Amino acid sequence: MTIQNRDRFLDNLANSLGRPRLTEGVERPTWSFNPQWQVYADYTQDQLVDVLEKQCKKIHTTFKRTDKEGLPELLIEVIASYGGQKVLASNDRRNEDFGLPAIFDELQQQGVDIRLWDSAKERDNQVFAEQADIGITFSEITLAESATVTLFNDKDNGRTISLLPRCYIAIIPRSTLVPRMTQATKKIHDAHVQGREVSSCISFISGPSNSADIEMNLIVGVHGPVQATYIVVDD
Amino acid sequence: MKVSLFITCMCDIFSANVGKDTVELLERFGCKVDFPEAQTCCGQPAYNSGYVKTTKETMKHMMTVFRDSEYVVGPSGSCVAMLRSYHDVFRGDAEWEQQAKGFGAKCFEITQFLVDVLGVVDVGSTFKGKVTYHPSCHMTRLLGVKEAPLQLLEQVKGVELVKLPHGEDCCGFGGTFAVKNAVISGQMVQEKADHVMETGAEYLVGGDMACLINIGGRLSREGRNVKVVHLTEILNHR
Amino acid sequence: MSIRIGKGSFDSRVQKGIDNDFMLNSVASAQTRFRDGRMNAAEELGNWEDWRSLGEEIRTHTLQHLDYYLQQLSDNVAKRGGHVFFAETAEDANAYIQEVVKRKNGKKVVKSKSMVTEEIGLNKALQDIGTEVVETDLGEWILQLDGDAPSHIVTPALHLNRDQIRATFAEKRGYDKSNTPEELALFAREQLRKDFLSADIGITGCNFAVAESGAVTFVTNEGNARLSTSLPDTQITVMGMERIVPTWQELDVLVSLLTRAAVGQKLTSYVTAITGTRLAGEIDGPEEFHLVIVDNGRSKILGTEFQSALHCIRCAACINVCPVYRHIGGHAYGSIYPGPIGAVLTPLLDGYEEHKELPYASTLCAACTDVCPVKIPLHEQLIRHRQIIVERQQMAPTTEKLAMTGFVKWSTSPAAYAFSTKIARTAFKPWTKDEKLSKGPGPLKEWTAMRDFPAPSKQSFRSWFKEHRKGEESK
Repeated sequence: MTIQNRDRFLDNLANSLGRPRLTEGVERPTWSFNPQWQVYADYTQDQLVDVLEKQCKKIHTTFKRTDKEGLPELLIEVIASYGGQKVLASNDRRNEDFGLPAIFDELQQQGVDIRLWDSAKERDNQVFAEQADIGITFSEITLAESATVTLFNDKDNGRTISLLPRCYIAIIPRSTLVPRMTQATKKIHDAHVQGREVSSCISFISGPSNSADIEMNLIVGVHGPVQATYIVVDD
Repeated sequence: MKVSLFITCMCDIFSANVGKDTVELLERFGCKVDFPEAQTCCGQPAYNSGYVKTTKETMKHMMTVFRDSEYVVGPSGSCVAMLRSYHDVFRGDAEWEQQAKGFGAKCFEITQFLVDVLGVVDVGSTFKGKVTYHPSCHMTRLLGVKEAPLQLLEQVKGVELVKLPHGEDCCGFGGTFAVKNAVISGQMVQEKADHVMETGAEYLVGGDMACLINIGGRLSREGRNVKVVHLTEILNHR
Repeated sequence: MSIRIGKGSFDSRVQKGIDNDFMLNSVASAQTRFRDGRMNAAEELGNWEDWRSLGEEIRTHTLQHLDYYLQQLSDNVAKRGGHVFFAETAEDANAYIQEVVKRKNGKKVVKSKSMVTEEIGLNKALQDIGTEVVETDLGEWILQLDGDAPSHIVTPALHLNRDQIRATFAEKRGYDKSNTPEELALFAREQLRKDFLSADIGITGCNFAVAESGAVTFVTNEGNARLSTSLPDTQITVMGMERIVPTWQELDVLVSLLTRAAVGQKLTSYVTAITGTRLAGEIDGPEEFHLVIVDNGRSKILGTEFQSALHCIRCAACINVCPVYRHIGGHAYGSIYPGPIGAVLTPLLDGYEEHKELPYASTLCAACTDVCPVKIPLHEQLIRHRQIIVERQQMAPTTEKLAMTGFVKWSTSPAAYAFSTKIARTAFKPWTKDEKLSKGPGPLKEWTAMRDFPAPSKQSFRSWFKEHRKGEESK
């Protein structure tokens, strides 16, 4: 790992700022305003689910809600509605707990080619993702305000699962809901302060990809998924 | 209450009526109005063009002229905003910065003075007609006077107030901009005139003579039948 | 391409803009949409002014301690297996990136939208060494195919309509479908997928780097930045040195301000934070990561009255409310940074000589200052520029200097001033008809090309006041 030309560059900045170079001891001040903490501050989990549901409409995302028992039927239904013949899911620690292996078995029997991300298979994962109709992941932290799922991508949860397939399904345990990005970034900040290794890629995803680059017309579905469904599971 | 009128060079030359209406309005609410004859311009044309050092002479002159005034009140959001920001220009100048602070604090735009200082909302005037109001940029964004003109207008008997679409857009005056970038300025004032026409108003009212001369000039060129009046004219109308 | 775009004088570029009806219509409707979106988003929060104050406070602190935070950032990037190069100039940055690309034997680069790489002219530098560069943001790709320059910092192809885009796709890529945005975008998706899958190197800009962790973040809607950083084995991220926050907590605030101020979104579809190289067992993401931190004139702004211009988070809110931009479009500015922030930044980064008209391309209406999510006093900085042009650079035209000297003399001499109020009407008489001037003399000629000018008052206020005072006193 190299760091090149740093001292000269930073000395020059210190010089422009009219003081000696600062290499330690800088503390963030206590900010005078903290409006970010006031958003939905006193909402219950159920109220946050309502906020999420409303916001889903604005970001062209289908919202579904169920409990663990209802999940198999609902998931199969959503996959079918997307015409899912090839499906890629993350190898998530929660798969078992939410009964996904049984669901996947059933789909397999119906002829759906369903695979879990498998780091041993290296680039084949990406090749399959590129052909897949649907990618499925869990949300680690879910931001109600912006209807955002947060993924901590790692060796079992590839970055491209939520990116290359045509459709994306996020499974959102209700307990992951927080008011907004503030709570998520606080957790990540705390992890850094405690010296824990944080994921190499953190993805905040709010619905399908889109663009307004042609005459400001909103086009849903550009480089990433064209459609997205969130399934909130009461846990 | 003793008030010194700051007429602004625009009104001094182009609109004596605005001066008269301002004086009469102030007197109606018990102010004793004087007019320091040595007053000139707030200095904005040169300051905004970047001639900061030389404009300080103009500013010093104005502060001297109004040194003994209790209040300085003028019929222009833009010029008053300039007076109130003198202290920024003299920052670091021990003698004048302090003086500029005191000076700025006693300067008011007429509707601001009526509402905020005198506590008047209903001036008791009558004016018949469909009116649309152009909220000038400096009045609203630099001086922060947004509500006062509307509060006052709403109480005038006979006024039918209609909202000006895209009212917050600049009319394209911009001081020397109107000459230096006359082509762009022309496009802007044309759009503003279009918006005025959309309202179907008989009167366009505003708080800054410069903007009114600009928009009025365009309406006149287009042969439009909309009359352009300063706020004080409506507020002082019986 | 570098910071300068377009040809001809400022006036000729302005005229070209004014004559382009389609472009102006699309700018106007885009402005309305952006503005409504921003206002709704701000209203929904309720305490937008507190948010702005917080944004300003964070940016001020960060810029004041920029050397410290950049050191922390670079240490943390290195800890996570990345390389960091500090580039003082555009040339330094390009040379380093060329070296990396050559060493990796890079044949094809996919790029996600980045203003700083436009600014340093990176595409040309890469093409010079025989590397194919593919812009993957839809708007940027359209411009690249067309050989055109961006006219807006968020929606770079704002000035083009669907027919023009269709024609470009047809001519350059054999497109034969309709001009609907959906079909055009689908075509771009299909074409660019191939590029993503075959590229050796991904190059991105950076919305914010996070000093405490070494993360670089991308705020996007299309997903191209995610693809550019997931598939190629090498990633190069180029950032303007000021695009940094102390911790993830400040990232939250600035991203929230950015997406709201830019387009009125609560968040964009994707906010992606990449830290260093991919970890053991990971398939996606780069095995080699380079962060290039670019000065290119920014350090000359630090410590000056213009420092707050470096607070800019490139949301384009100032551009979206600017009535001058609305009437001339982005290309008239002759800089990849148009609108109010462009008029402030461009002369600072590239000198006054080529850009001395820009500080005057504003009515000082302050709409920009009013909307800036980090409270840059844009219109005041434009006056500072004018001051420098007049007082330090001595670049003001002689006629203007004479006029302003005359103005100051007039406005400091009560006698001369009072006299002028008395004779104004007579002086204007030769040009006056029906109480107005339709063809004015001197500087009024420009004014009266588009509008009338009023004749001075019949009665002098001063003489009225004297009479009035007498009457009052005798009461």
